[in-house]
Amino acid sequence: MDSRDSSSSSVPNRDGTAGDDDGVLSVTAALAKDAALYFQSRKFAECVDVLTQLKTKKEGDPKVLHNIAIAEFLRDGCSDPKKMLEVLNNIKKRSEELAHASEEQVESGSDVGNKVTSGSKESSSTTHQVSASHSASTIYTAEFDTSVISLNIAVIWFHLHEYAKALSVLEPLYKNIEPIDETTALHICLLLLDVVLASCDASKSADVLNYLEKAFGVGNVSQGDNGNILLQQSTNLVGKLSSVPSSSLVSDASTPDLAASVNASENPLSRTLSEDPLDEMFSTLDIAGQNLSRSADLTSPKELPRTRVDRSIFGVDLKLKLQLYKVRFLLLTRNIKLAKREVKHATNIARGRESSTALLLKAQLEYARGNHRKAIKLLMASTNRTDTAISSMFNNNLGCIYYKLGKYHTSAVFFSKALSNCSSLQKEKPLKLFTFSQDKSLHITYNCGLQYLACGKPIIAARCFQKASLIFYKRPLLWLRLAECCLMAVEKGLVEGSRPPSNRSEIRVDVIGKGRWRKLLIEDGISRSGLVDSVGKDDWALGGDEEPKLSLPLARQCLYNALHLLNCSDSSHLKCLLPSNSSLEENESSDGASSKNPNHKSLVGIDSKPSTLSVGLVNSNGDFKEPKAGTNQEMIHNSVAYFADICRKENQMMKQALLANLAYVELELENPLKALSAARSLLELPGCSRIYIFLGHVYAAEALCLLNKPKEAVEHLSIYLSGPNKVESPFSQEDCEQWLTEKPIDCEEPNGGGGGAATAAKNPSPEGMQEFMFLKPEEACGTLYANLAALYATQGELDRAHQFTTQALSLLPNSTEATMTAIYIDLVLGKSQEALSKLKRCSHVRFLSSNLQSNKSS
Amino acid sequence: MGKKMLNFEEQCKILNLLKSSSEQKSIEEMLTEFFTNPKLRHFNVCYSLSLLLQDKMMLSSTERLVAFAILHRSYSSQKSAANPFISFLVNAACDEGAENYERAFILHLLGFGNSNSSKEFLKQSASEYIKKFDPSSQTFPQKEQLQKQYLEKAHPEPYACLLKSTAVKNVLADPDVPPGCDANSAEFDLEPGAKSKLGSGDRDEALSGLIANLSLEGLIPHWIRPLPPRFPVDEELVWLNPDNNHELQWDQGMCADTSRGAAVRDLIAKALRGPLAPNQQEQVLVELANDPKLVYHCGLTPRKLPELVESNPLIAVDVLIKLINSPEIAEYFTVLVNMDMSLHSMEVVNRLTTAVELPKEFVRTYITNCISSCENIKDKYMQNRLVRLVCVFLQSLIRNRIIDGKICLSKFKPSALSFQGLERQRVYLGC
Repeated sequence: MDSRDSSSSSVPNRDGTAGDDDGVLSVTAALAKDAALYFQSRKFAECVDVLTQLKTKKEGDPKVLHNIAIAEFLRDGCSDPKKMLEVLNNIKKRSEELAHASEEQVESGSDVGNKVTSGSKESSSTTHQVSASHSASTIYTAEFDTSVISLNIAVIWFHLHEYAKALSVLEPLYKNIEPIDETTALHICLLLLDVVLASCDASKSADVLNYLEKAFGVGNVSQGDNGNILLQQSTNLVGKLSSVPSSSLVSDASTPDLAASVNASENPLSRTLSEDPLDEMFSTLDIAGQNLSRSADLTSPKELPRTRVDRSIFGVDLKLKLQLYKVRFLLLTRNIKLAKREVKHATNIARGRESSTALLLKAQLEYARGNHRKAIKLLMASTNRTDTAISSMFNNNLGCIYYKLGKYHTSAVFFSKALSNCSSLQKEKPLKLFTFSQDKSLHITYNCGLQYLACGKPIIAARCFQKASLIFYKRPLLWLRLAECCLMAVEKGLVEGSRPPSNRSEIRVDVIGKGRWRKLLIEDGISRSGLVDSVGKDDWALGGDEEPKLSLPLARQCLYNALHLLNCSDSSHLKCLLPSNSSLEENESSDGASSKNPNHKSLVGIDSKPSTLSVGLVNSNGDFKEPKAGTNQEMIHNSVAYFADICRKENQMMKQALLANLAYVELELENPLKALSAARSLLELPGCSRIYIFLGHVYAAEALCLLNKPKEAVEHLSIYLSGPNKVESPFSQEDCEQWLTEKPIDCEEPNGGGGGAATAAKNPSPEGMQEFMFLKPEEACGTLYANLAALYATQGELDRAHQFTTQALSLLPNSTEATMTAIYIDLVLGKSQEALSKLKRCSHVRFLSSNLQSNKSS
Repeated sequence: MGKKMLNFEEQCKILNLLKSSSEQKSIEEMLTEFFTNPKLRHFNVCYSLSLLLQDKMMLSSTERLVAFAILHRSYSSQKSAANPFISFLVNAACDEGAENYERAFILHLLGFGNSNSSKEFLKQSASEYIKKFDPSSQTFPQKEQLQKQYLEKAHPEPYACLLKSTAVKNVLADPDVPPGCDANSAEFDLEPGAKSKLGSGDRDEALSGLIANLSLEGLIPHWIRPLPPRFPVDEELVWLNPDNNHELQWDQGMCADTSRGAAVRDLIAKALRGPLAPNQQEQVLVELANDPKLVYHCGLTPRKLPELVESNPLIAVDVLIKLINSPEIAEYFTVLVNMDMSLHSMEVVNRLTTAVELPKEFVRTYITNCISSCENIKDKYMQNRLVRLVCVFLQSLIRNRIIDGKICLSKFKPSALSFQGLERQRVYLGC
């Protein structure tokens, strides 16, 4: 909205100056002007008419074709963006071919300038700079410049949520942004920022943010009234420039250095006329030495503000916009404290007119801090709930909050409301390009999936994740969740071939015969055979309508996908490692930071990248005049580093979970070798949580046991033996809590001032724990006892096995496995009476009369 | 529900077989009849029978003989060692607690000692065999001997999982008789027609129930395999914020006037050939200042930079400052650092250092080039001038904190110490 407003308000300005030159406007230029006016006033049909006339005069001109395509697309209600992409790509290709041809022409001697003879020379110095910049800057761009076409291609990709594709178009533009005219450059930067933020790429976001603040002079918003200073600066600058041919373009009006630099530049001018250049040189150098103490303004190249851009884009709107971007960036990097500060500044800039964006960001901030009630209050304060798109976000966000509060059913209500908002949004006419990007149904669907998983509905959850995979397929977490769906479905007996849950957790005993002939036949209820046979072919397509057939092999496939994606993002260099941007990283890893300046190989050490350069500069000089700018950049820089750290940690956690799940699945699928290798990789992970170390050992031991290597299996379990028959707790309750709150919340010193956020995070809410359904430490001990018992029983060390099984049963009285092992040991020892009494004591035994079944045969 | 070992047909077959064992049919006849069905799963049938045989009470003596015969006959086409139940048979033959006629029958089946040539004994019925059995006619070999004879050539144990290979029978006797009564006493057998009393039961019912429910899997020690916990949901929920709208952009460059840069382009072209007049120079600077993008379209390339530096150093400085953010700037610097040392190039570098942040490596390389140029000049007078010039240049750099004086001079020392006046310069520089 903002950008449209500002660009349309720029029309009169641009127009006003163009009017001065009316006399020299050619017919085509006049038509072009008309078409542009129609376009700005959104009269696309008329615009197309004018353009069609223009087309007859400039046959095959790519820019005319481009504008026609744009106008027609908008006139026809943006119905087919994919086709539009095709059209634009064709025009771009054509333009590049023409540019190539003309380049060859230039090299063969002809002058580019003469090719277009539409106007006489005009003295640019007389043109009013600020307003003329827009049109003036495009003049020199090559006739076949494709930056606008590329931008538009990226815009469409962006609206289609295809961030990786948008990025692939935008990155080359950004790398070579300097020659691009200001307005287009600004649009490119803003779009790029949205794209990288959407793909959670913190380091690129930081890069673009830094660049925007410096190049467009809208940084330091934290100083509150800075806007005025900037304005003043630029007007001063304009004044000076018209009179002084100074090489030092940027100067602060208040800096005394200005005079010096003027001096410095005047002297050499006269010097060229002087007879003895050497002496002159001396004097120049002396002057320079005395007066030109380097001021901070001059040092950082990227701090040259792009003062020439239309002021209207640069007003409060852009400032607010950038401030909100910064907040989004800080929220992305989970720098909560600074985000809070910057949100306040944003409110100051907005001066009362609260935008729904700002409100939602504030709510997100409170949500991230764990202040769920406050977040709800803020959301409720949102006035703009009549807007369908906004209300869908509103409902979704409420859903997130209630999820975090552990109220899954309430959250389900809100998520489904949000989804229905989305579907009514799609029905709204006329269709706008924006409608596509506003459709966040896939994001909401992902949230639904999480919610269903939390509610224990794996099949419908999997369906949600499957739909969301259209946009999240590069996220390892998505695949982990799908695998979890499979495991849950198997556990619940919802998978073909798997037992219903009751059968898995109880011992079934067939009672056969009567009286003296009565026999008890213990069914091996926990045996998992049968699952392997149910392996269907995995002809399940991503995002297809076909329902995913949850199975253990599918779980395995998902886990492998996730591991692969995770390894990809790991191997891509220092950049931020969030799952979602692994996609981008994959493509970009080779030509990342270094290739931003492809020529730099010739001179080692050149780094014109703004972030590193200026941070170092400010630090080493210590005499910076804009401390805020310095801290600002440092802040962004630190946030990126901090976030990279978080991502690394999260990836580590995820890897643990993936490998543990994989080992489990392979065991279920009766592949002990693969299970063993997964469990071993799990145990080798650096910084592995004690919970997962425990799982790793248990899985490895079982796999080894299945591979007939009982000695090695014992080694894995005896790690936890503190005495001959005493097991120590493999992990503590704190380990569980820590696992849930591994991720630190506050960026700066964790116990300093963070207040509510920090404490809220440190003590996991009961809801959080409830979600963490896993063995209690004493149950883990029981598990170890039971498995040691099973292991020793197979080894024939029945006495030891008997001792372990007694301890196991005291900790896990209801465990069917432990009971079965105990009965087994009794039977091997010939104590059938004890076995019988154990069987009859166990609460998880179901006695079935055989009469019912004897005639039902399979 | 566990997998049943036998299908309905097999169950009937076995029950019929066992029932007919008490009849006067010859064993051979019964066997032939039994194996008429080609779909019979031998292993399952034999395994069920072996489980029944383990319970000494379950089967009658004739039934047991027939069952043993089946166990043997099922695999008789192969070598005895290939019979999966061979050790079961051998053990049964050596079971001191078993009836002698049963042990002798098994030995006959195995063909031990080639006693009365092969199958003759099968021509009688099971009950006849028992009746005619003469305990004195049979000697019972040692278990080791039998094992040696029938198991020696056995294949190595087929691979079996540790847990499963140690399975025990999962059938438990749980006689339901009044306390204090002997469960094995025949008094609890159900008399046909008699009223059932507490603890009585029908063997046939139990037998058919067992046969129907037997499973291949025995009872094994159980391993607890904990399900991994679900990954915690932390920042995973997608919070939605309004997107910024990005509209399609009109290309303002359509039919635009491109003549405007022509003047500057002409002047830059001239500037490559020789010094510009002051007013021309000013015009270039003003136009470049007025339009920050013009510098990208003024026709300058890295290749042409040395000419511009030599002819119009000030314009070169201005252009380079404006190009500082250009992706090509590194190339320009490379050209600059590699061009011949001259007053003008030094001036350009000096001015650049005061205006923009230059890469450290660039400055260092440039200084090194300066020093080596000083060394290489033959003309003493020119060398003197150049050394002074370089010293002033360095002085300026040091004063502006572009370089560290001490480091710089320590580099300078070995190569240029001999130059006249350098000592003086060192003092002057205060190093």
